[in-house]
Amino acid sequence: MYQMLTNSTRILAQAMALFGGALLLLVVGVTFISIAGRALVPLDIGLGPIRGIYDITEIGIAAAVFAFLPWCQLERGHAAVDLFKPAFPKLMNRLLDVVLDGGMLAVAALIAWRLYLGMMDKLTYGETTLIAQIPVWQGYALSLMGAVGFVLVAAFCVLRSLRALAYPQTVGDA
Amino acid sequence: MSNIDLALWSFPVLLVLIFMRTPIALAMLAVGFIGNYLVIGNTAMTLNQMKTLTYGTFSNYSFSIIPLFLLMGQFATLSGMSAALFRAAESFLGHRKGGVAMSAIGACAGFGAICGSSLATAATMGQVALPELKRYGYPGSLSTGALAAGGTLGILIPPSVILVIYAILAEQNIEKLFVAALIPGILAALGYVLAISIWVRVSPNSAAVKDRVPWAQRMVALASVWPVLTIFMLVVGGIYLGIFTPTEAAAVGAAGTGIAAVASGQMSWAKLRLAILATASATAMIYLIILGAGFYNNFLALTQLPQTASAWVGAQGFSPWLVLTAVLIMYLVFGCIMDSLSMVLLTVPIIFPIMVVLDFGMSANDFGLWFGILVLIVVEVGLITPPVGMNLFIINSMDKDTPIGQTYKGALPFVLTDMVRVVILAAFPSITLWLVWVMDSWVG
Repeated sequence: MYQMLTNSTRILAQAMALFGGALLLLVVGVTFISIAGRALVPLDIGLGPIRGIYDITEIGIAAAVFAFLPWCQLERGHAAVDLFKPAFPKLMNRLLDVVLDGGMLAVAALIAWRLYLGMMDKLTYGETTLIAQIPVWQGYALSLMGAVGFVLVAAFCVLRSLRALAYPQTVGDA
Repeated sequence: MSNIDLALWSFPVLLVLIFMRTPIALAMLAVGFIGNYLVIGNTAMTLNQMKTLTYGTFSNYSFSIIPLFLLMGQFATLSGMSAALFRAAESFLGHRKGGVAMSAIGACAGFGAICGSSLATAATMGQVALPELKRYGYPGSLSTGALAAGGTLGILIPPSVILVIYAILAEQNIEKLFVAALIPGILAALGYVLAISIWVRVSPNSAAVKDRVPWAQRMVALASVWPVLTIFMLVVGGIYLGIFTPTEAAAVGAAGTGIAAVASGQMSWAKLRLAILATASATAMIYLIILGAGFYNNFLALTQLPQTASAWVGAQGFSPWLVLTAVLIMYLVFGCIMDSLSMVLLTVPIIFPIMVVLDFGMSANDFGLWFGILVLIVVEVGLITPPVGMNLFIINSMDKDTPIGQTYKGALPFVLTDMVRVVILAAFPSITLWLVWVMDSWVG
């Protein structure tokens, strides 16, 4: 059961990170085309930079960053000072893991909850981006996928630390 | 408790949390959130801000350079350029005493021009140069120390992720910061080469040298690194001449190193996947810290601490140079235990307003550039100082025969050259600013 959960969480986090990576590559590609278009403006053959490239970049990068959060959480990628870890008792480290993963879960939940409310606001007011006139809520919706993934993965990480606390012998000291 | 007291108390609380292994982003978010609550008296305002704050931070156009530079660095590691750079550097330096280690430094400097991350530079050059250093009988302390130090050139030589963050926090011009970083970066490489040259003359355990390479072959080796030069000119030159926005330049750089990786035949779907996952993890880490720092600095701004502190320091009549020395030493000490990025994000919003009111006899613009480069150097020293020096760990883990103590010892001469360089650059600001002035007079 736990093994299945581990595998599916891993697949979810990786899939999201790769989705974010695809968005990043898309931004690179679109930017490249836009620059090429801008370079061709003097030829006056109807080609030019992509309208609203800034808007597209902002939305693409935001959604990508949100989609990267679950993978970073699962891989314990968040910067922390582990200098004193070896000096702390093992039990204390396991307890800390539970508390800190719980803290991350709280942050993830707060971010996702507020992002959702923010999206509803943007939907109500019908706000659009400045140049490309893309409805802002769509950027929020795309980002919400990653934010929800972050909550799910953070919840799994709490479970992972709890298990390490309850059965230290099966998980090792890592 | 007054608001200023709250702000002052938040520092020790933050430090305790961080030493208790709390992820730095989480610590800043928590302290910022609770601090806001204590100042305002409710959470409604903070919660309301959060509806747009996270998305607003993650979608910020200026920040979007960061994931693109990280991707560029990942592609650069796959481009085979590290090996080409090392071969080119070896053809020029290999016949000297300590030449193979010097070549590793030269190659790191070249790689730093297309990679904005120290860890990626150290890891990539380590793979290429460590076996060669071993073959020529270099002691483990020297080879791992040199490569760990060489890795910091990834950040010191533009493009540089830390400089981007500093530019945004201190509202400085990214283009000019990149130009200002160039000469100090080259000085760093020269300092490291000098350190190796002294080491191999002092230590009896000297390593073998290679045969002298004829000039024709040197030129061939040099010609093979043209993609590095092209990408560097496109990115840094393009930004400076105003052809690209910094974000566009980073996208061009990512595309350039990506194309180089495909052309080298090293790119595969599996490697692309790994490159994306590595970019993902680093990007998410940085953005969450940016979010946390935003929260925390928001709280500090509410308490008016930055203004109060800056007014206080101004009124004390301290010597500006004394304050600068104290600040740089503080960065060096904290750098031993904290990573450079968190340190910059945490301190620049407080330190910069204090420093900018002090009179160093230069314009505010020049000061912002010069101070940025000094901060960049001292925080990067943290990567090669024990007990927590990420570059030391990375290189050491690649060399099974060298204990970590030897790597610490090996990094020491390079740390010394870093110190000397900081003193020189602090004493003579024009070394850093000269190229910016020249470029300014060209662009008009």
